[in-house]
Amino acid sequence: MNSQGGMTRAQVAVFYLVMTTSIASGIAIYSSASTATALLKTATAGLFLPVLISLIVSFLLDPLVQYVEGKRINRTISIFVVYIFLFLATSLLLLIIGPPNWEGMIQALKADFPRYISHSIKYLNGLLMIAQEHFPFIVNYDIAELISSTSQSFFGLILKETPQSAMRVASLLLLVPLFSFFFLRDSRRIMRSLISLTPNRYFEMVLDIYAHVSWQLAHFIRGRILEALIIGVVVWMGLSLTDIHYAPILGIIAGATNLVPYIGPLIGMIPGLIIAVVDLGTGGQFWWVLCVYFIIGQVILDNFILIPILISRVSNLHPLWVILAIIMGGKLYGVIGMMIGVPIASILNIIIIEIRQYRRTFNPYNRYFSSRGKLL
Amino acid sequence: MQGKGLIVNPFWSNIFRSRGYEKTLAYFLSTMPMFNKLDKRELGFLENIVHLRNYHSDEVVFNQGDIGSGMYFIRSGQVQIFNQDEHGTEVVQAVLEAGDFFGEVALTASRPRCASARTTEPTVLIGLFRSDVLEAVRRHPVPTAKIMLGLNRIIADRLLQCSLQLETLKRQQTLAKKQQSHE
Repeated sequence: MNSQGGMTRAQVAVFYLVMTTSIASGIAIYSSASTATALLKTATAGLFLPVLISLIVSFLLDPLVQYVEGKRINRTISIFVVYIFLFLATSLLLLIIGPPNWEGMIQALKADFPRYISHSIKYLNGLLMIAQEHFPFIVNYDIAELISSTSQSFFGLILKETPQSAMRVASLLLLVPLFSFFFLRDSRRIMRSLISLTPNRYFEMVLDIYAHVSWQLAHFIRGRILEALIIGVVVWMGLSLTDIHYAPILGIIAGATNLVPYIGPLIGMIPGLIIAVVDLGTGGQFWWVLCVYFIIGQVILDNFILIPILISRVSNLHPLWVILAIIMGGKLYGVIGMMIGVPIASILNIIIIEIRQYRRTFNPYNRYFSSRGKLL
Repeated sequence: MQGKGLIVNPFWSNIFRSRGYEKTLAYFLSTMPMFNKLDKRELGFLENIVHLRNYHSDEVVFNQGDIGSGMYFIRSGQVQIFNQDEHGTEVVQAVLEAGDFFGEVALTASRPRCASARTTEPTVLIGLFRSDVLEAVRRHPVPTAKIMLGLNRIIADRLLQCSLQLETLKRQQTLAKKQQSHE
């Protein structure tokens, strides 16, 4: 009976039972862990954008809330006051000016779009002819066809996504004020409790670096958003002086693309220039449009007024990093990723620079650190 | 049934009894000389910008030459302030007890610490740091101004005391010189 290495049959049975259950439960735990990460992924999938936008909104509103709070009003109530004020201001603005006719504009754009595309293709074909005269070996390369097909599919995608994005915008309108309310109210408390986790020895350093980084970040984000807003409004105003259609949409495009340094403004002016050429011809108005985009928008306003005032030089990124950030952002989150990739890279840059700065200035043994300039 | 001479078994003492105001952080802060002009509301505000830190015994708070970013109040425990001379031996400058404070020079500007501080027993420190004070200046200027005035008063008192001591030392020195010349 009791063979098998001194174990009774019952013991062997129990042993096998324990082994199989442990293996089974191990597999179950492993698979549920992978499904848990998958679940986590699906659960947080749509949240990235609202959280990001509410963070940005709370950065923008923080000075206003602080101003109201300075009148000896409780912070929660100050946030409500700012919200109500903003709501009233927007509705007043809409009442006075009247909402721009977005829907009509989009319908008209849908009708006009093929015309713009075909014109630009014609122009590109002309260019191609000239190029082929000088470089005969590119005869068989059909750029025009490529552009027309990609732009058609791109525009079709936009039209298809419009109802979906309307849903998304509605949910954003609900979520963003809610999230940013809590960010505004509790961000200090959250950050304090996070910082208080650091060991005693590094506490002072972490607190100092956090204060520097958050100051820089707040300025950077506020500056970027304000810059985009001002550029958008100025382009809108400037284009409204001509007979060009879709000035509001072009203004929005100019403002949004202005978030991406170096490349963004150039891309932002392409639609405006195409529409100007097609509708207005290459007369005086075209040159005025170019002037609005390039000289007023970029050179005078952006380079000489806005960037020096709003954005510190600290956050300047090397062009190579800008391109890398755009590509990586695009891989991760598509068009939105392209737009926010560069700001996020700049934020990382600010954090790294602040930490290096802190170590260099504030370390008495700084002979151990290299005295070379910026890393990035 | 608790008579006067009766010693109550601590097991039965009511640990859930609500703590009196004397036990709160705000009360402790109000006993500090630099905060004794603040009212209750302002003390509550101050309570929100300080950090409570727990230290083991023999733990370094900061070293000489570190860049300081704030001052500490000792809520309980003991802190030793010491320097190191060129041979590396420690010279104890002071032993601070609960209710004392140190490091106030670093609060207004980031200066290297001129001495090291180390706890000698389990200690609770309350830290008031420059970044928090700067933010408080923006958000609540009035109570922060009062806090800074209190700090100013303390530092001014110390300066006065130092200059008085310097005066007496100078007098002693001139006296000693006179005696030397007489001899």
